[in-house]
Amino acid sequence: MSRKGRTGRGRFLLAAALLLALSVGFEKEFGAAGRGSGAAPLLYLPSGRYLKVASLGYDELLADVLYLWSIQYYSNYDIGDRYVYLEHIYKDVITELDPRYLDPYLIGAMIMSAEAQDPEMALRLLDKGIAKNPDQWILPFEAGFLCYQTLRDYPRSSRYFEQAAAVPGVPPIVQRFKAEMTRRAGDIRASLGEWAGIYDAATDDYVRTIAWKHVHDLRVQVDLEDLTAAIAAYRDRFGRAPAGLAQLRTAGLLAEIPRDPEGRDYVYEPQSGRPSYGGVSILGR
Amino acid sequence: MTGRILAIALNTFREAIRNRILYLLLVFAVALILCAQTLSLLTVGSEEKIIKDFGLATIDLFGVLTAVLMGIGLVSREIERRTVYVLLAKPIHRAEFVLGKYAGLVLTLLVNTAIMALCFVLLLLAKGIFDPGILLAIALLFLQFLLITAIAVLFSCLSNPIVSCILTLALYAVGHLLWSFDLLRARLAAPWARALCAGLQRLLPDLAPFDVKGQVVHGIPLPPGTVAYAFVYLALYGGAVLALACAAFQRKEMQ
Repeated sequence: MSRKGRTGRGRFLLAAALLLALSVGFEKEFGAAGRGSGAAPLLYLPSGRYLKVASLGYDELLADVLYLWSIQYYSNYDIGDRYVYLEHIYKDVITELDPRYLDPYLIGAMIMSAEAQDPEMALRLLDKGIAKNPDQWILPFEAGFLCYQTLRDYPRSSRYFEQAAAVPGVPPIVQRFKAEMTRRAGDIRASLGEWAGIYDAATDDYVRTIAWKHVHDLRVQVDLEDLTAAIAAYRDRFGRAPAGLAQLRTAGLLAEIPRDPEGRDYVYEPQSGRPSYGGVSILGR
Repeated sequence: MTGRILAIALNTFREAIRNRILYLLLVFAVALILCAQTLSLLTVGSEEKIIKDFGLATIDLFGVLTAVLMGIGLVSREIERRTVYVLLAKPIHRAEFVLGKYAGLVLTLLVNTAIMALCFVLLLLAKGIFDPGILLAIALLFLQFLLITAIAVLFSCLSNPIVSCILTLALYAVGHLLWSFDLLRARLAAPWARALCAGLQRLLPDLAPFDVKGQVVHGIPLPPGTVAYAFVYLALYGGAVLALACAAFQRKEMQ
């Protein structure tokens, strides 16, 4: 190449470097303002049903890309109105593109309940996940946990744990949560039956010990409830409390007088007419 | 006959591997497959899914691009450069020329796909997330490339490269949207329109049987007969398209 040619090329390279440096500076200074901020740009994000058509078979990849973007977007605390389209992004777009993709259900529900403070929205997303993935126990388990921990809605939580427990291959902890929620929902007899089932099916000492503690305390609760009801019935019939618990059997109000889990008689005070447990509750209830 | 087709195929393969577009696509594909590793750092959970989705989609996309970009000029470029006259002056049937060109590109695609698959599998093995189902998904994608190549060759016999490229890509898009014809048919009132819609659905290439990326990544068992169906469909539909390409080239007037 001639000297003239080299000089000409050098000028072009210099011009290119100068223009590139200017464009970088310009983008840094004005780029963000031009793009807009907040949730407004998401207004035009179409539903997943339309994106599925437009993705031409790359719907799983598009779901990945949108999920990655959503993680970065919802981690940015500078965007004040970022939760405006939260349900649309996860429920109508990402999980519509790939309904078998579990993480958007779990992480989306976590953002909805913990960050956006909208647990009902999180439950709607998890309900969709449960409907689309009936073979995955983790989704009803998460929904049950949300109802238990955030909403304190134990009957609803119990129903979700029951759904999770019905999935084959579910870890034993789900049954334990289910039994505990049944108790918290107020059905101690059903809970006792479930804990007894867990105790019988336990294959390791750890689970067996936990189950035994619950069976122990629930057994005491159920027995005291039965005795209290029988004493009340006795009082209605004879106008006074029985002198001893054995009279409840004599009167035909109980087929057998229950003994506590340690095999001792329950303590009974004829003056107050109240039965009680002579031992200590293991779980401190 | 087989010998002549093989000779043309090997010649086409040699020509293809000298093409810079092939290397450009291959380098991009390998770079993107390796990028999946970086992308997975941005996520919360699901790293395995993202790496597999990204790798399979890259192999799919770049395989199709290779098939289209190289297939569309396969015959028309020979005519344009007038090299076809040298070949056809020899005792070669025109159909042998088309089939030889097709076979050469298939060989190129086989090597191309094998290189992309090797990089992907090595990445999966390094991450400890390899699943043999991935190989099945790649094999079915390769069958899809064969069908796309046949379509590109047909258009290459009928038209110039730009028109061929547009038409092939349009059929590729439609091939992934045939399921939406059911939705369209349900909304059509006129019986003739519904019949036309159903006819088009049957007539257009169906690429869905070759796409099991989602099932493989999610570990969903494939319905029995999926692979056999894809093979038979490719043999029948691809064969029909190649026969049409041969017929079109047979009728083509060389000036």
